Amino acid sequence: MSTRWYPIYQRGNPQLRVFLPNFWMKLVRPHPKQLPNIVHFHCSMEMTKYDIKNYLEKIYEVPVVDVRTKINMGKFKKDVVKGYVIKEDDVKVAFVTLPKTMTFKYPDLFEKSINEEEEHAKSLDESKKNFRKYIDHNKSRPDIPSWFSI
Amino acid sequence: MHIIKLHRSLLKIKNAIPRYSTITALEESEYTETPEYPPILDMTREGKLLRRRQSFQSKIQELNTIEEKQIALNMPRYYGWQCIMLNNDKVPYNAMPLVQYYTRSHFIPVAKLPEAYNEIEQQASNILQEIKPQIEDAIAIELTDVERNFKFLQDKSIKMQQEDTITKCVVRQINRIIMNNLSDNLPHILSTQIDYDARHEAFWHIGGVDPPTTTVKWRKENKWPKSTHYESTDRPVQYIGSPILTLRNRHPLKPLIPYSEAENPAFKVDKFTTIPGSVGYFREFRHGTNIPGFWPGDIDEFGLLSYHGRGHILDRKTSFGEQDNIEALHCQAMKASFGWLLAQANYQGFTTFNDLTYPLVTQTVITNGKLWSLYAYQLNTIVMHNDTVDSNPKHNICFGTKPLQLYETIENGKVLGLNEDVLIMLLQFYMNAPVERDHAMKPYLGKDEKVIADIEDDNRRCWLEERYKYLVSNRPKHSLIPEVYLWEKIYKIQHNTRFFEAKRRPFERGINPFNRRLDDHISPYIPKVLREYPRSKKKFEATYYPEV
Repeated sequence: MSTRWYPIYQRGNPQLRVFLPNFWMKLVRPHPKQLPNIVHFHCSMEMTKYDIKNYLEKIYEVPVVDVRTKINMGKFKKDVVKGYVIKEDDVKVAFVTLPKTMTFKYPDLFEKSINEEEEHAKSLDESKKNFRKYIDHNKSRPDIPSWFSI
Repeated sequence: MHIIKLHRSLLKIKNAIPRYSTITALEESEYTETPEYPPILDMTREGKLLRRRQSFQSKIQELNTIEEKQIALNMPRYYGWQCIMLNNDKVPYNAMPLVQYYTRSHFIPVAKLPEAYNEIEQQASNILQEIKPQIEDAIAIELTDVERNFKFLQDKSIKMQQEDTITKCVVRQINRIIMNNLSDNLPHILSTQIDYDARHEAFWHIGGVDPPTTTVKWRKENKWPKSTHYESTDRPVQYIGSPILTLRNRHPLKPLIPYSEAENPAFKVDKFTTIPGSVGYFREFRHGTNIPGFWPGDIDEFGLLSYHGRGHILDRKTSFGEQDNIEALHCQAMKASFGWLLAQANYQGFTTFNDLTYPLVTQTVITNGKLWSLYAYQLNTIVMHNDTVDSNPKHNICFGTKPLQLYETIENGKVLGLNEDVLIMLLQFYMNAPVERDHAMKPYLGKDEKVIADIEDDNRRCWLEERYKYLVSNRPKHSLIPEVYLWEKIYKIQHNTRFFEAKRRPFERGINPFNRRLDDHISPYIPKVLREYPRSKKKFEATYYPEV
């Protein structure tokens, strides 16, 4: 049951043709070793197994064979400022089974950025090297400002 | 005074120690012509662990009685193993690869029974003509003329219970008719025992499966080498089933295919390494039990035929599809056949660590009265723990049919469109005669002591009997299972906020309570008045756990 209710019709009111419950589902990276036809989701706590099945079938047209859900407890953390223990929110996890002929591979979202990162690391290395060179260069002449040079 | 006493006792000790004057003789025997070296042992961590496991396995093999072996299998765990539960009437979606790997069964779909049954086919069709009208009548009466008062349980669906109850009645009737008509001609039918609603349980270890995420986490925290984080471990598996009706005899059935064929690479089963939770099989703490429907010492210890209901198919979701329902039946048959045969093999002295030396065969029927699927299963190997799962070349074989319709409809109290082929196959199962084997059936059991009832020491026999029955009853423990409370996890483990308190709980002292051994407990106290006359300092009663 969504926490948002379908407004009960009163005579004379405009009739709503569309009703959107506040349901959401988030695709998450599965465990490292998992069957290829199982997909992991985080979803809104109010969603039942039937809701999850309908959500995927009706909106995204994904064939769903079976749904298993569990509620994972949120992590306990120390408050940075006050130091007492606080708890993160719980999360509902849905394990959705697709037909056994189908496979799902979690997409590699940051494929491009790996190259970028490498480039970044390269330039950082270079600047580090230059800095070291500069330090070595000025080792023997303390008390002289950096701009005083040929 | 005291010195004299000491002197006396020293003299006594002196006399007690034997003294030899044959040192030269000893020196001679020290040398041999060819040098003899002690075996070179692998002293790495893995080598030491492997030797420890092998010694445990060989100690189980050397035990004399069936029951002691069963207790020995459970010795490492006081609170029971965390078993993967394979229930007979719960088959999740796409379970076939898992079930095949866990039971090491190669499945062969067939339309007719395998070749071994061809001889008796003609005879079966002759007999069928005699009993056909009786079977038709019995089915019609059970399905239409009987008014039933169902008593439903809460934990299973009503549809399923309704179907299973009716199936039970039909199967009992058909079995009665066949047994009565065959017992005149076939001697093995007369000596066969019938069990209703038997208790079938089997326990084994499966290797080559990914470790659970908690284990991987634990390994990372305890700084195992990186290459060993995902190493597979032995996973205990427990099968639980309750057939409607079983037949058993004192001799085993003939093998369906020669035993040498078990190593045929064509029968190889694909590996299924993913954790069983991802398919829908979950874990439970319990002691491993092997029970084939009777207690050790029964004469009729080989199964011939077992009937199972298929009401659980009604409980499956429609989204699974027809094809998966048929596969679920195959899974049920493989689990039931393997489970029953493994329990029987355990009563012959084999365990999940000591492999079978000969094949065993059983026949399984899954039915709801109208649809009948027939399976013949040959058990060739039961050793599949982590050390042997890849090196063991043997596989089990299951022949199975699709669900076949016995009749079309029942109109005006008469069965229409009876399918004789199904009944012929069923009769072939009954007429397949068990034969005495000419090899040793119980190589790993003692000569005089095969079951604990053979033990002559009264105390030991009674103690073992009581301990074994209590163990396999799997009753809840008298004290609570150790637990880390949530507040402790938050305020003691995850956040060290109570550092000033005394550290008394197991997790604070670095103890894993689940590693406790079965014999790690104090035995009952003997009150002083009951101790042996004149003076006995023995405060606690003796225990007779097998030494493994």
